[in-house]
Amino acid sequence: MVVSPDIALQVVIWGLYAGCIYILLATGLNLIFGVMKIVNFAHGELLMLGAFVTFTFFTISGFNPYVLLAASVPILIVLGVMIERLCFRPILGTGKLNEIFISLGLIYIIQNAAAIIWTDEWRIIHSPYESITISVFGVNMPLDYLIIIITTIAILVALYLFLRKTTLGRAMRATSQNRKGAMLMGINVERMDMISFGIGAGLAGAAGTLWAVSGQVFNPYMGSLPAIKAFAIVIIGGLGSIPGAIIGGLIYGIAENFAIFTLGGAWKDAISFLILILVLIVRPTGIFGESSE
Amino acid sequence: MKKLLAIATVLIIGFALMAGCTEQQASGDELKIGVVASMTGAASTTGKDVWQSAVLAADEINAAGGVYVEELGTKIPIRLIQGDDESTREGGQKAVSRLITQDNVDVLVGGFSSAVVSAHQSIVAEYKVPYIITGASTPIITRRDDVDTFYMFHHAPTTDDSGGQTTLFIDDTIRPAINEKFGFSADRPLKLAILYQDSPYGKGQQDAIKNTIAQENLNIEVVSEETFKMGETDYRTVLTSVKNSDPDVVYVVAFLNEQIPAVTQARRDVGMNTIFIAVEPNDDPDYYSGVGRYGDYSIIQSRFSPYAVPKGPIEASVEKFVNDFDEKWGGFPGMMGAATYEGVYIAARAVEDAGTLDKAQVRDAIAQVEMPQMVEAMKDQTIRFSDDYRESKFDLYMEQLFWDDDLQETRPKIVWPASLKETDFVLPDWFEPGKE
Repeated sequence: MVVSPDIALQVVIWGLYAGCIYILLATGLNLIFGVMKIVNFAHGELLMLGAFVTFTFFTISGFNPYVLLAASVPILIVLGVMIERLCFRPILGTGKLNEIFISLGLIYIIQNAAAIIWTDEWRIIHSPYESITISVFGVNMPLDYLIIIITTIAILVALYLFLRKTTLGRAMRATSQNRKGAMLMGINVERMDMISFGIGAGLAGAAGTLWAVSGQVFNPYMGSLPAIKAFAIVIIGGLGSIPGAIIGGLIYGIAENFAIFTLGGAWKDAISFLILILVLIVRPTGIFGESSE
Repeated sequence: MKKLLAIATVLIIGFALMAGCTEQQASGDELKIGVVASMTGAASTTGKDVWQSAVLAADEINAAGGVYVEELGTKIPIRLIQGDDESTREGGQKAVSRLITQDNVDVLVGGFSSAVVSAHQSIVAEYKVPYIITGASTPIITRRDDVDTFYMFHHAPTTDDSGGQTTLFIDDTIRPAINEKFGFSADRPLKLAILYQDSPYGKGQQDAIKNTIAQENLNIEVVSEETFKMGETDYRTVLTSVKNSDPDVVYVVAFLNEQIPAVTQARRDVGMNTIFIAVEPNDDPDYYSGVGRYGDYSIIQSRFSPYAVPKGPIEASVEKFVNDFDEKWGGFPGMMGAATYEGVYIAARAVEDAGTLDKAQVRDAIAQVEMPQMVEAMKDQTIRFSDDYRESKFDLYMEQLFWDDDLQETRPKIVWPASLKETDFVLPDWFEPGKE
């Protein structure tokens, strides 16, 4: 198949958008894993909740859905803190199996609760900018996509500054690097767990808002597949590495979309896991596995 | 403590035995219909529609006195028993096993999704329970030879019927309209792209389109065949590939949650100014509200529409069904619900004709059933099953959607076939044909 530069650029743009959602999800997962060393299988459900929170506020208020990031992120942060306090903290350190089953249980609880609250019908939000298309290097691109990409960059820069420049951020990184050492230095590591889970959930909430705003449909059961991919991205990028999550998310988004274009839609998920296998063969610790944050 | 445990065990066993006795006594006093529906999981919206429509039918029949069974010399009521397939193959197997072996149902009705139904057919075959399938649409359901489908009846349009009818419409109506509007020669082939779900349903439709083109020698060139995974939400890249093939028309084989983003993203993000065709399960109020303005001038196949009812004898019964459903449950029934509503009536009629609850005789009575059409338009205005594959035949029609400023949604008008047509098919001003 001959692919013209215009078409290739168009596919890259679709891939960048998909990558943004994956990056936010995978970065949150990585943050939680880095500090707490737990794997939250219910992370995709937090994305779903972010989408439904946006949907609810949008329906009630009619506000610009991008503004509703200011609602979905704080609500998901609070929810994340509650989940950490009520579900994960009591079983932390009691064995990986307990952590796994808690997060698997949370998937069903959150999905069913969402189905009761919002019903299990598919929902869609129409962005106020949905009819606006702009030209980027000669390729038409929905304005929403540009906003989503810029929003994702802004969130990641803010997270970087928080982790690098603030005392709290440095304390979180210290906990991530050496939990016992951090405790000996007087850092309240349980507080760091709570904050990292909250921020991770907030990032998933932001991903949910952007998912909804981009015109994709959602229902209470939609979170599982994005979460599986986010896990794969975390492994590709390296467990606990935020730059790894960013690079992994971009690779995933673009590779998936080129696979759809060249091989067909049925290859979308297969190509993602093929990349995962290849990366693990060549570099078992992931791309940034050794230099964890 | 041991004493307490012993008493509790005796009580539990006692209650279990009593429950068994009650079940035994009830057998024969009622017509037990197992409704196989996706009450939970991804297809739960359709599942609820299926269940609620079945309940409406059973209530109506019971209100009229029930089902007369000659062998018993009396009328007996219908009792519906819900079998939730959880929208999965495994869930379907569990639900059908329970309905047959524990609930001892006399007839099964329902069954959504070809994949789910295929997985539990062997259980139905083993126990020889009459099964009126009202959801799954692959023709394989009653044509497969690895499972004995003798007890199974297909009361839903097959993908062969659905895909075939739509392809005939494209050749008969859209192709001449494009050639005339753009001054193309009359023998210019229509360039068709097929975007289909990677499932037995999607592949069935794809085969039906291509077979119809070949068998009917239609002047249609298939320029693109692209798939997507079931439940996909992002279609931009696959649509970019479709656009690259320069089609006149894009035939999308997708369910409601896929069709809405596919059409929206095609028109809005990928900039495709072409005619989109939707398959019949999408003719649902949620489609009109979800697709919004992007559905303007698109085509949708139907057999039971929320907003376009074929004129004629069926009109009054559709109106009654819709009003009764709305009164009982609130909202609008979907076409799977309509087929299941009819399925319960078919089961009741077959039991009356058989004069017994004996499953073999009820099965034979379903095979012989001849009923006037109810709420869906049927061939010859009659519900009957074909001798070869036990399929009922529907009178499918094509609708075109037009934007309504007052409602801020599109609404459909029937544009094909000529016998049901409300208005002519229209090519919009923004339409761009595929390049020569």
